[in-house]
Amino acid sequence: MTNDMPCVSGPLAEKPEILGALLTVENVGKSFQLEDGALFPVLKGCSFQIHDLKGKPQIISLLGPSGVGKTTLLRMLAGLDAPSEGTILITDGTPDQMRPVRVGDIGVVFQKYPLFEDLKVIENLIEPPVRRGMLTRSVAREKAERYLQDFDLMSHALAWPRQLSGGQRQRVAILQQLMLERYFIILDEPFSGLDPVSINNAISLLSKIAHQHEYNTFIIITHDVTSALIISDHVYLIGRDRDESGEPIPGARVQKEYDMIAEGLAYRPDVEDLPRFAEIRKEIKLVEFPKL
Amino acid sequence: MAHEIFRVFGNVRNLTRIYLAVMWTGAFFLLWVFSPIKALPYPSEVWHAVGEMWNKYALGYHVLTTIKLNVVGLVYSTVLSLVISYLSVVPLVQPVNKFVQILRYIPIIGFNLIFLAFFPIGWALKVAMLTAGMSFFLVTSMTGVIQEIPQMRFELAKVLGYNDWQVFYTVVMRPTLPHMLDMVAQNAAIGWVMIASIESFNRTEGGIGSQIAIATDLSRVYAYLFIIGIIALVEDFLFVLLKRILFPYSLIAERG
Repeated sequence: MTNDMPCVSGPLAEKPEILGALLTVENVGKSFQLEDGALFPVLKGCSFQIHDLKGKPQIISLLGPSGVGKTTLLRMLAGLDAPSEGTILITDGTPDQMRPVRVGDIGVVFQKYPLFEDLKVIENLIEPPVRRGMLTRSVAREKAERYLQDFDLMSHALAWPRQLSGGQRQRVAILQQLMLERYFIILDEPFSGLDPVSINNAISLLSKIAHQHEYNTFIIITHDVTSALIISDHVYLIGRDRDESGEPIPGARVQKEYDMIAEGLAYRPDVEDLPRFAEIRKEIKLVEFPKL
Repeated sequence: MAHEIFRVFGNVRNLTRIYLAVMWTGAFFLLWVFSPIKALPYPSEVWHAVGEMWNKYALGYHVLTTIKLNVVGLVYSTVLSLVISYLSVVPLVQPVNKFVQILRYIPIIGFNLIFLAFFPIGWALKVAMLTAGMSFFLVTSMTGVIQEIPQMRFELAKVLGYNDWQVFYTVVMRPTLPHMLDMVAQNAAIGWVMIASIESFNRTEGGIGSQIAIATDLSRVYAYLFIIGIIALVEDFLFVLLKRILFPYSLIAERG
């Protein structure tokens, strides 16, 4: 399954054909009860749709400042929490056949890259598909070794997770999800706490992994504007509406969508040098972020 | 060596560790020899008592009897406590778990009559009392370990598509085993504290507790306490060794 597709580099000659919806988030809201019993809406009327693009993997960013409700949205997308209102539907494999998302439908790479600390790195990859009855142990081992080889982790195959660096843990956590032949993976703040060089490495890594299979759809939850714009082909900006005095109103939703393919900014190594990229970044950073 | 031993949170070399152990042992003996407490027997008297008890009063037999009681009680209480603790993830069992935890506040001798109703005086009664007494503490500490499992671990297993039993095994049971071993080691010590009262209450088959209870010579009492100390050291070493062999990852420091 690995290395099926070369990494896309350069703008697409034509807009990819949309086959149907992969994930539909419709009017989703989530409220939490405060100590005085009142309900506080974190998300309200949040809607967006992720489409299946013919023959093309996707990286979609849900971009928003800290505390806006991105993790709340992640938990609902992953099926870990139910929305207070609205629906999250996922394709069941056949066109236009959608059903409510369940835990386990979408892979999640959590922010701190939790792994099974009592299993060696290679066992962290082998166990999930074997336990779920998807692969035999020997096939899973073969696949895990291939992944470890591809992502420079073979020398750490017999290490314990505690012995890995943050970057290595991130790779193992992503590979753990890929072992389950997951094409839909959410990554929670993959650039958080990284220095500029490590961010570049993480961008390259995620692009490489995403572009290994045409069905891959990665959703990146992040507050890092630049990284989100570099890596994504779609960016959804999450934020709160404001009242007349400019104060944010509780309950964030998708405020704006940036189609980086339509903008001609997707899959371009030189994207940061393009004036339009700078414009969008400025628009998000200076106009949206400080007020959210 | 001075820069090593006075540094807060500093790591010391193994050789330094040995020096420190020897130094403190020496200090302890000096304090003992020159102690102003006149009732305290001298080390030579205690040593003499050990020899005398070995030759005349079946010291070996009593020590082995107590070790056997401690090990049997530890095995039973570990199995019982693991079951009750792990089942605490099921809401139905939680009140039972809480009730067992509360019992640790009651002195084990307070359960005499209840145990006497079910077990004849002798070995079975002692094992039952020790098992119960140790379990009250062990259930408390083991349940604490389970409650401290980070939520993130459960969620990882869930998003990997594991069913409830797989989550239980991979998140609750398997990774907590090294911590459970720590709790068992701690409980082994609690067992030694309980044994003295259990064996003095029920003196059939002898044992260290029964001998302490009937000892008229203070040097014999201290000889037994000294022996318990040595057994404790060996026991602690064995538990660390066991942890090193069974759960090597638990001794690796997290990479920063």
